[in-house]
Amino acid sequence: MKAGAAVGRRAGITGKRWVFISTLAIMGLLLFVPSFHNDYINLTFRNILMYAAMSYGWNLIGGYTGYVSFGNVAFFGIGAYCSAVLSKTGIDNVFADVGLALVMCALFAIVVGLPILRLRGHYFGIATLGVALGLTDLANNLDFVGGSGGLNLKQADQAHFYLYYYAMWAVTLVCMLATFFIARSKLGYAFVAIRENEEAAQVLGISPTRYKVIAWALGGMMGGAAGAVFAPANGFVDPGTAFAVDNNVFPIAMAILGGMGTASGPFIGALLLSGVNEILQEKFLWLHSLFFGAIIVLIVVFLPRGLMYLVGLRGGVRRWLSDLRAFRV
Amino acid sequence: MTEARDVCLRVENVGMRFGGLRALDDVSFEVERGTILGLIGPNGSGKTTMMNVVSGVYKPTSGRAVFEGKRIADFPTHEVCHLGIARTFQVVKPFASLTVRENVAVGAMYGRFGAKRSGKDAFARTDELLESVGLARVAGRPASDLTIPDRKRLEVAKALALDPELLLLDEVMAGLNHTEVDEALHLLRAVNERGVTLIVVEHLMKAIMSISKRVVVLAEGKKIADGLPLEVTSSPAVIEAYLGSRFAKRQQQERERQT
Ligand SMILES: Nc1ncnc2c1ncn2[C@@H]1O[C@H](COP(=O)(O)OP(=O)(O)O)[C@@H](O)[C@H]1O
Ligand SMILES: [Mg+2]
Repeated sequence: MKAGAAVGRRAGITGKRWVFISTLAIMGLLLFVPSFHNDYINLTFRNILMYAAMSYGWNLIGGYTGYVSFGNVAFFGIGAYCSAVLSKTGIDNVFADVGLALVMCALFAIVVGLPILRLRGHYFGIATLGVALGLTDLANNLDFVGGSGGLNLKQADQAHFYLYYYAMWAVTLVCMLATFFIARSKLGYAFVAIRENEEAAQVLGISPTRYKVIAWALGGMMGGAAGAVFAPANGFVDPGTAFAVDNNVFPIAMAILGGMGTASGPFIGALLLSGVNEILQEKFLWLHSLFFGAIIVLIVVFLPRGLMYLVGLRGGVRRWLSDLRAFRV
Repeated sequence: MTEARDVCLRVENVGMRFGGLRALDDVSFEVERGTILGLIGPNGSGKTTMMNVVSGVYKPTSGRAVFEGKRIADFPTHEVCHLGIARTFQVVKPFASLTVRENVAVGAMYGRFGAKRSGKDAFARTDELLESVGLARVAGRPASDLTIPDRKRLEVAKALALDPELLLLDEVMAGLNHTEVDEALHLLRAVNERGVTLIVVEHLMKAIMSISKRVVVLAEGKKIADGLPLEVTSSPAVIEAYLGSRFAKRQQQERERQT
């Protein structure tokens, strides 16, 4: 069974309306984070926003189209390196960074996506993993981008430091709204039709390869934009940070927890999972990765359709168990 | 034949092999525009495989299917509906998490006139269709909640949303009760009267005999009869295929005794 192919209750192609409105309201509140003038709080929330944006990117291909990618970190990395290379050439402008990342990620998604998105199901997932590993290798060996030593970027001075927070906030908001409007458009229905039954979608006139590539490219641009803002905010990019395993796994877990194939899920998942991660990190400095991994496994096993599903659940534990069984078939 | 027949689909020497199995073996027939063709045969005789060839889901391993002068195998599957061919699946394939209305709208969005339709237009077209196939009452329900007859209706509605010229129906009446079969026949006649050519695959002889203008019979991948419904049912080859060779032999003997 493909990821996200839902059974039973549904919440609509964007998820529950009131959940999305609440999500927008929380986004509104997050605008005030810099007013705490606390670097730790600022960094924490900027990371939440960053993961949310990446999770939105994964959600289009993995959640809406049902093709689980294990390589979306590739786009984040490309975005980060776009900024680093621009900085190297003397351009330090967040708009230029994001613009270049969008173009490069779209091109990369199309060039790589056309061959690998012809693959169905698991083969696609494995191929995407290969893509991410390949890019890491490339970055390690390409002197032009600093090889394994990485590249430093010029950061804005402290007075303008919070600009990166607002930039990340804006990127995330655009990802959120874009997901909402794409899902409700003809495009969104093509994605979901492919997820639910690719052969039936095809007979209804949908070219699977074409729409899978579109979903992957749009999602890739989202991840790339997050990377492009991350790099100057971080001031340094190397293969380890740009293609970090966390950056690959967290966005997937967040989308699953919040509810994949919805317009609020990635954001809610990012908020909750980052919160949990913070607490674990504080309480168990050494083993926190282990606990965090266990939590992800539990979510995938017991809440494969995310919290959004619980919100719409009628019929209690019994319905939950029967849906869970149906999901595994 | 004196009159030039107005043929829209030509199936020419189609063969389809799956490994060593010949699911279709040198099958040819023609379908006149505006007609209702019944395609019958015992289980495993190749009916669904023929639907898959004509709808472009399978490329035949030999021969060809030609619709309005175009070889279907030359088009990718997702473009066949733009030629004007729509099909239902014997094993229904609903988009389970979408509502009935959304399921049908996908067809209206991406079918023959889909490119010209906005999402809103597609939903407007869908609402007309749901009314006509009797699904308006469950329009907002997830497709996964439907009963078997409604799932069959949904298959038909999705195919109709493509605005086809030729509609292939693969056992849409299987599993329906008496009244539901009558309703289905009524719907198919109405669709046909609007000018859509139908190929109706059914296991049920009765239903097909009442609706078809011509019948093609398959057995073990080969065409064994092609003609008017009454001619076909009295053909010894068809009786043998359906009822077994002993029954056919006995009938033959009886006929000989009578003469
Ligand atoms: N995709 C396939 N792969 C292998 N064998 C198939 C496939 N599709 C159909 N067949 C075989 O072809 C034969 C005809 O099947 P089918 O066309 O489904 O028959 P019908 O619809 O008349 O019952 C059967 O023996 C079936 O097992
Ligand atoms: Mg069949």
